[in-house]
Amino acid sequence: MRLLLADNNDSFTRNLEHLLMAATAITPQVAPYAALKDMAPEHYDCIVISPGPGHPREYPDYARFLDSGVPVLGICMGMQIINSHFGGTTSRLPASMGGAHGKQGDILMEGTVRTVARYHSLHCDTVGEGLRITATLREQNPDGPPVVMALQHESRPLMGYQFHPESFLTPNGTWYIEHALRFFRLCQ
Amino acid sequence: MPCVFSASVSSRTLPALLHHLARTYHADLLLCGPLAPAAAPRTERSIAGIAPVRELELHTDTPREHLHDFCFTPCATAVSGTIGYLNYTGGLARYGIRSDKPENSPNGRADQKPKNWPEDTPESKLADRQKDLPEGLFRQYAIQLIISPAQEPCSPPHSVDGTAGTDTGNHTARHDSRHDSGHDYGHDKRHGKEHVLECHTAEILPDSLCGKQSAALIDELKALCTGVIPPDPIPAHVAPLSRDALSRRLRQSLDRKGYVRGVERVLEHIRDGDTYQLNLSTRFDADLSGTGFDPLTFFMHMWDQHPAPFYAWLSHGSTRILSTSPERFLCVRDGQVLSQPIKGTLEFESFTEGMEKALTASPKESAELSMIVDLIRNDIAACCEYGSVQVSAHKETFTVDRLIQMYSDVRGTLRSGFTCLDLLLDAFPGGSVTGCPKQRTMRIIEAEEPHSRGLYCGSVVFIEDPQNMDSSIAIRTGWYDSITKALCFFSGSGIVLDSNPESEYRETLAKAGKFLRALAP
Repeated sequence: MRLLLADNNDSFTRNLEHLLMAATAITPQVAPYAALKDMAPEHYDCIVISPGPGHPREYPDYARFLDSGVPVLGICMGMQIINSHFGGTTSRLPASMGGAHGKQGDILMEGTVRTVARYHSLHCDTVGEGLRITATLREQNPDGPPVVMALQHESRPLMGYQFHPESFLTPNGTWYIEHALRFFRLCQ
Repeated sequence: MPCVFSASVSSRTLPALLHHLARTYHADLLLCGPLAPAAAPRTERSIAGIAPVRELELHTDTPREHLHDFCFTPCATAVSGTIGYLNYTGGLARYGIRSDKPENSPNGRADQKPKNWPEDTPESKLADRQKDLPEGLFRQYAIQLIISPAQEPCSPPHSVDGTAGTDTGNHTARHDSRHDSGHDYGHDKRHGKEHVLECHTAEILPDSLCGKQSAALIDELKALCTGVIPPDPIPAHVAPLSRDALSRRLRQSLDRKGYVRGVERVLEHIRDGDTYQLNLSTRFDADLSGTGFDPLTFFMHMWDQHPAPFYAWLSHGSTRILSTSPERFLCVRDGQVLSQPIKGTLEFESFTEGMEKALTASPKESAELSMIVDLIRNDIAACCEYGSVQVSAHKETFTVDRLIQMYSDVRGTLRSGFTCLDLLLDAFPGGSVTGCPKQRTMRIIEAEEPHSRGLYCGSVVFIEDPQNMDSSIAIRTGWYDSITKALCFFSGSGIVLDSNPESEYRETLAKAGKFLRALAP
């Protein structure tokens, strides 16, 4: 499997690289965001979009990759980029929910409660067309529907996690990579 | 690297000896302790470098290979083992961040004062001089004195097992053992404790060193270290200023109002997703002209009164660097990597039972540390074997500088073909003093802080060979300019989403407290 890890100048990309290696035994090719415009998505079997600072609007070069048909897994900012590509919106988390950086949170993911690491100030407040929510935060959102913690496309091989499987605060992080690869039909 | 003599030195005479070496022979010093037996993080050796014979200044365009060659190519005229530092500001270039701030200007700009900057008074007028510290400085010496605890005469300069325990489950045990020593980080009160001092020289010595015949210098050092000639006593530390005088002569790049506003702006950046955590600092400049201030006496006083594992005294031109750091950045021992980031702080006047638990139970302080642990995991991962990066201890505590602090142990194994210098340069600057994600956070720091950090938040390092190194994060650090008679020092605090701006400002004052109290009790 040819694995591309796109780095949005983030400080957790190497952790993600190590997690991908642990889950797949494949060394991913790590490429900075600035290099993507010269890269061909079809050269890869799977693309992982790293977390990153700012707002998804700052990362327009992913459009080509998301429309390529190549499976894409987006982590944190990566998920927001996928959501934004399909018309979803991103806004600040409600102030009443407090900080969500370097803290564990419980999510409900396909019927199972899982503890994951959270690093985000922004969240997908509306979900893009064709995307299905697959995990939400168990903590109540007083200002609206539950906070989206994972989503996937209904007909394309695209999946996003708002949380950080590569963090030491997420138990059994490799499971989330394997879960995505199963969805992409890249592993059993 | 011949060992030309060894000696036994007691804790009682060690401070005067170290002071004498720096005063008379202009030794550079990397000093551990004096630490209580159970103190952690810790390092096990103090090193004095005498008679520098090779020096490499690093600049933005210095190829990494030059530093590798300097540190790792054997040289008959120097003892192996390199003492050096990396300047935080030099680390900006790696992230594509340009800094135009003059490094030794209190306000960062020679021609423009920050708002709320106090007016100059005749006695507080400081010369704004352009950079006088290079971005990095590495030295090798003709003579090295290595001082280790007597029970470990051949102990390494650091221990990758450099704590009282290694498993997360040892949390309580560590506390118990430290409580037996009276809750404080430092003060090994066993004044009779012996140290082993070894004097190593280069294979080839020049005819003269430090203005003396080399052989005569070695004899003199031997007499001094073995007690035949007693070292000069350290002059008593006298605070150079009254509180009133200090308030007149002290300037801050970010005063209370400026710092609070800075924190508020940083909080907006956090809410916008630009950063998770940002370390915002302020610079203090004290005009000490006419006070008779002696930086070396001051440094030795700090070392005696505020023990910490990573003290450093380095000279460069008219500048005397005083680093009093408790924080390890990266230690590599035979390829095994240890980083011990510190985050989470509780100030106290008198220690009471339960304080540590209050700190470790705080969601805010815990999150501060966890973020940096993930950042350090990431930063060492680039040079570490897949699968080797582990958090072996999390939310441990120790006390230093009247503060309870939390730290973690992050470990890894250096990849084949990588050196400790690769690790140091790739991971620099330390994540605990930038914040996360690093690049954008450093950009925000550069915009928000009116001063240049210079060496503050850089690292002081001791490099032995490609697989062995120890380094500090240069916090609780400053430097004295013997021309302007100005002492600058810095302190900062990690800003997170649930930070209270006033509380964060108080934390920066608490971290600067030992400098402020030593200047004016």
